[in-house]
Amino acid sequence: MDSLHHLLAGFAAALSVKYLLFALAGCVLGTLIGVLPGLGPAAGTAILIPLTFSLDATGAIIMLSAIYYGAMYGGTITSVLINVPGEAASVVTCIDGHQMARQGRAGSALGIAAIGSFVGGTLATVALVVVAMPLASLALKFGPAEFFALMVAGLCLVVGLAGNNMMAALLMTVIGLLFALVGVDPVRGAPRFTFGVEELYDGIGFIPVVMGLFGVAELLLAAEKRQTHMVEAELKSWMPTAAECKQSVGAIGRGTVVGFVLGLIPGVGAIVPTFMAYVLEKRVSKTPERFGKGAIEGVASAETANNAYANAAMVPLLALGIPSSPTIAVLMGAFIINGITPGPFLFQEQPALVWTVIASFFVGNVLLLILNLPLVGLWAKLLKIPFSYMCAGVLIFCVIGAYGLKQSLFDVWVMLGFGILGYLLRKLDFPIAPAILALILGPMMEKSLRTTLEISGGSFAIFLDRPVALTLLAVPVIVVGFLLFKPRSLAPLREGDSE
Amino acid sequence: MRQGRLIATGAMLAFCLFAVWQSLLLSLTDRLGPGPGFFPFWLALFGVVLALGLLFTTFREPATPATDEEVRILPYGAGGMRWLAIVLLMAAAAAAMEVVGFRLAMLVFNAALVIALGERRWWVIALFAVGGSFGVYYVFTHWLDVLLPDGRIWN
Repeated sequence: MDSLHHLLAGFAAALSVKYLLFALAGCVLGTLIGVLPGLGPAAGTAILIPLTFSLDATGAIIMLSAIYYGAMYGGTITSVLINVPGEAASVVTCIDGHQMARQGRAGSALGIAAIGSFVGGTLATVALVVVAMPLASLALKFGPAEFFALMVAGLCLVVGLAGNNMMAALLMTVIGLLFALVGVDPVRGAPRFTFGVEELYDGIGFIPVVMGLFGVAELLLAAEKRQTHMVEAELKSWMPTAAECKQSVGAIGRGTVVGFVLGLIPGVGAIVPTFMAYVLEKRVSKTPERFGKGAIEGVASAETANNAYANAAMVPLLALGIPSSPTIAVLMGAFIINGITPGPFLFQEQPALVWTVIASFFVGNVLLLILNLPLVGLWAKLLKIPFSYMCAGVLIFCVIGAYGLKQSLFDVWVMLGFGILGYLLRKLDFPIAPAILALILGPMMEKSLRTTLEISGGSFAIFLDRPVALTLLAVPVIVVGFLLFKPRSLAPLREGDSE
Repeated sequence: MRQGRLIATGAMLAFCLFAVWQSLLLSLTDRLGPGPGFFPFWLALFGVVLALGLLFTTFREPATPATDEEVRILPYGAGGMRWLAIVLLMAAAAAAMEVVGFRLAMLVFNAALVIALGERRWWVIALFAVGGSFGVYYVFTHWLDVLLPDGRIWN
């Protein structure tokens, strides 16, 4: 009841002209980012942060969240029309979506994707409203030991699912954590790993690193390969027929459940729910042989799960302060830039902000539906932007974003350095997602662990006395053990590093 | 690919060893409990173990016939030139920005980059370069209140 009261107040704010415009701008920019192949939601959200510098905290978070779920839908357009996923989670949509386009049913595929995304996103937000506050209330009982264990569990889940090589993923986590420790020690205030460089006293900026690892690195990869010209599929209409809608109802329902449940688990990238929803749909279908040949249920299930996941992934962030993917980590960075720490206290300390943001998710989903159904043709035309201009445009935003946060050119160099590093790591198949999450969680992890050990007088036995912390620490052991014994069966799911 | 992974893992091993050494220069514990070096020390030590393990497993991997693209980790050919153009122009722009400011640095950067990436129509290049430097500067500083470098030579 309390949640409903807060949510209504949130709607009153989210429906104000100012926040509506921010949500609309975010949806448009997000869809644009999603449409452009190579730029995923993480890079897109990071490079557009400078646009929010002058906004208030609520406006900035609303706009960046809208960019995030806008990008999640935008990737569908290229998947269907040219068989190139705009972001990793849209890979599954290519399977049936592009087949539908080749049969002259591109409009139906994009239409059902928009409807599925709307239903999945909206229902997941309803579930978020129900789940987030009780979860946050529960987390308020957590001490530093539980928070440390929770962060370890989250990172281990990312390690387990992010890369093909678990040991490489673990090593990337450690490297990310070590980079996070550069700067002033959060407990004693002593400088660490700064080597007399003044700019390092504040630590290595999270945003320049993300812009480098995702934005610059992706451009470098794209520049190396000559961009292919798109072959535009024929777009006869943008609405699926009544029969196609009826056919997709079950797929949309199941996709919502799969996307939401998996979105709650830290570390599960967006590709996992879309893949699982697709496989589930194929299993329950009476005519599974149609899948891969243009089955509309294949598009509906994957796209619904994709957006349900995107909204559900906000639950661990808002209620626990744990980002479940690199894009959510960027959003967490945006919260921190604005002086807000996501987590259980958020609902107590910033109820107006958090409920306005949640209400804006509903508004954003409606805006996406309105934008995407009639404007599909327009989005498709954006694919004709030459790579040279897209590349230069993105780099301009990267420079502004890296510099603008602290007015430091040092951060522009950091971005470029991490861009080259990201390029090499991608080529060598080292997973980047664990390092990104470790980078943002590192300072909090260290603070929690050291506070715990100060309470216990330096004894690790404190973890044995706290059942929740012990259970949370046991999760990584179970997950790591499971993946060590069953690596092959999970192989298709370990992708989607950009998300 | 295998050779590249071995070199990269070796670099990470060196990084972790360096972090172990640097952590030991800080206090690991003090009278209140763990000191500033405690977390980085154990973390870096864990990293050393992982890097050694990864080196060992990568070294033991059987050599598989690799495709041409897999063999070349560093950029090459025409794609390599585009790659190099982006990196060098970014570095030059970052270096020049402090002296000549955002507008001039990005004006040259934009023009040079689109030319390097294949654009040849001079009026499009000029339009994009001016819009992407002076135009963007105006929008961000006047409308969005974002401070951008003006450059030392103008002060």
